[in-house]
Amino acid sequence: MSRSPRTWGLTAVEIVIAVAVATGGVAALEGVTPAEGLGILYLLAVLAIAIRRGQLAALLTALLSVLTFNFLFITPRHRLEIAHSRDVVNLVVLLIAAIVVGRLASIGRERAAEAESRARIAAAREREAKLLAEVASSILPGRSIAAQLRIIGNLVAATTGATAARVALEHAPSPGADELALPLHGPRTAWLYVTRDASWSRGEIERIAEPLGRLIDVAVERERVADQAAETEASRRAEVAKTAVLHAISHDLRSPLTAIATAVGGLRATLVTEAEREELIDVINEETARLGKLVDDLLDLSRIESGAVAPRADWTDLRDVVASAVMQSRSDARIEVELPEDLPLVRADAAQLERVFSNLIDNAVKFSPPGEPVRITGGASGGRVVVRVSDRGPGIPRKDRLRVFEPFFRSAGDRSSGSGLGLSISRGFVEANGGQIILQPGADAGTSFAVSFPAARPSPDGPPADGADAGPGPEAAEPRARAPR
Amino acid sequence: MTTPAPRVLVVDDEPQIVRGLKIILRSAGYAVEAAETKAEAMASLASRPPDALVLDLVLPDGSGVELVGEIRRWSQLPVLVLSAVGDEREKVRALDAGADDYVTKPFGTDELLARLRALLRRSLEPGGTPEVELGELVIDLQDRRVIRSGREVHLTPIEFDIVRVLAQHQGRLVMHRQLLQEVWGPQYVDETHYLRVHMAHIRAKLENDPSRPRYLITEPGVGYRLRDPST
Repeated sequence: MSRSPRTWGLTAVEIVIAVAVATGGVAALEGVTPAEGLGILYLLAVLAIAIRRGQLAALLTALLSVLTFNFLFITPRHRLEIAHSRDVVNLVVLLIAAIVVGRLASIGRERAAEAESRARIAAAREREAKLLAEVASSILPGRSIAAQLRIIGNLVAATTGATAARVALEHAPSPGADELALPLHGPRTAWLYVTRDASWSRGEIERIAEPLGRLIDVAVERERVADQAAETEASRRAEVAKTAVLHAISHDLRSPLTAIATAVGGLRATLVTEAEREELIDVINEETARLGKLVDDLLDLSRIESGAVAPRADWTDLRDVVASAVMQSRSDARIEVELPEDLPLVRADAAQLERVFSNLIDNAVKFSPPGEPVRITGGASGGRVVVRVSDRGPGIPRKDRLRVFEPFFRSAGDRSSGSGLGLSISRGFVEANGGQIILQPGADAGTSFAVSFPAARPSPDGPPADGADAGPGPEAAEPRARAPR
Repeated sequence: MTTPAPRVLVVDDEPQIVRGLKIILRSAGYAVEAAETKAEAMASLASRPPDALVLDLVLPDGSGVELVGEIRRWSQLPVLVLSAVGDEREKVRALDAGADDYVTKPFGTDELLARLRALLRRSLEPGGTPEVELGELVIDLQDRRVIRSGREVHLTPIEFDIVRVLAQHQGRLVMHRQLLQEVWGPQYVDETHYLRVHMAHIRAKLENDPSRPRYLITEPGVGYRLRDPST
């Protein structure tokens, strides 16, 4: 027990008061009862001091009580002498009783104090545990580590009663002027900074440093693992896509090859009629063309994907491009072109755009029901020129709409002989030329692909706004890159 | 021709392949019908059962494997599968489901016709013959002897049994499981290494160049086939 002199002074005063009160009591009752029997009143004084001030003070009180009682009430009075042996016994009993009572009372007092301090410690532990639990539950997947550290700082500030607290992952501490810096132990070096106005003592905050450090480590580790998992997933998806493309290519190459090989086998057979020979030769011709188209498409696609398209941009009239694409269509399906005569020019590679519209027209023809025409419409608005290629076919199921531009993608039920590359090549060419292609599901049925480019001049009259080198004047509207592929 | 032409149903959704196949099969003396989908094939099988089926594994309304499974519930109709490199797993599933043999696309016409002939021989002439002649080999199933270029070759009983099973299915694919079951018994159907060891010994005795077999052909991952080198 370390007590300050001030506490001892107070204790002495209390002892004197307690003994004086007991003495007053004895003096007051002396007329009623013989004084010798009233020594028991001093036990009350001892008891009071024992409870308030502990065992040593109680012992002093007992001694002072015995001396005072002896001096004031035991014959001969006002001397510290004892005349009767009976009084000696009385005083000794009083002294022993005082000591025992003092001891018992002070034990009770210590127990109470112990319980109180235990409760205080328990409360402190509870606050720590609550803080750590909150920190632990704030470590959620999907949050960035910076956000997690910010949340942890706020929790620490709220719990420790500080205006602010923050956690930083750094090797050396860099506290602000009014901040305490505490190392957070763990596999990573991190520092906790708490403003000095915290209601927790430095020692109390230090107690949470280690578990906090471990939790932060968990958060950091978790983010790392999540990053890694995302990376693995991405490369797995790329692998799956690659496999799908390889599978599609091999299937698309093999079907015409098989048809050709079969037809050649048929030509070699002995019992084949002239008509059958013609048919087999047709098969070989058609499938050779299909293979050639597939190889062209694959080449285009690889050029687009490697960014090697290099459009030769020039003043281009989309009406000419569309007309040329329509003429190339070998199908005898009806194609209705309704493009306004004042359609603005665009700056693009006409040959590439012709490929785009050829693909879109072939596609539309393929899905058109017999007798239904493919329609090509367009116009200019908002500084853009739009051309739409629409069919009245079955339309593209909602779930497939996002995927139609992927290479080799075919809607379920598409049993056509196309490569599944036309739309991705179209998009590649359109985007390389600064345009946009979007799928617009028809209002009633059918599909419409809208290709749009920035208009190259604001009005259809007058020469193009820029560049004498581009060849201003009406003749510039003539598409130049109309050379066949 | 005194007997009617055997009827073959071709199931494939590639019209250009079907056009060629029809002509080839017709010129080889078959009556040919074609179906593009599983559903069409089932309808055709139900209304006019053919003598053999040539089946593409990838159909627009399902897998050829499923079709084989359904057919095998009620028919032992010979089924020749058209498979592709890359579809090996599907091919094995089709064979497990009961398909009899396969050719890989793009296939040679002669190969296709030889396989089809072997399949139809099985179903049209049950019983088989006691003696099988293949080029310079004569396999006498009754006396358990193999004669090569006029001289008897000594085979152990197991070796002869392997040759016997292959000869009874001459020209046709015999899967590992079937061979193991018929020679060793049903509890040995997974012990394919038995076959590799014995096949090496048999080839050493019967083939001119065991590393380039002419008679005993390996179908990788599936089984073996005893082939007549003259066809």
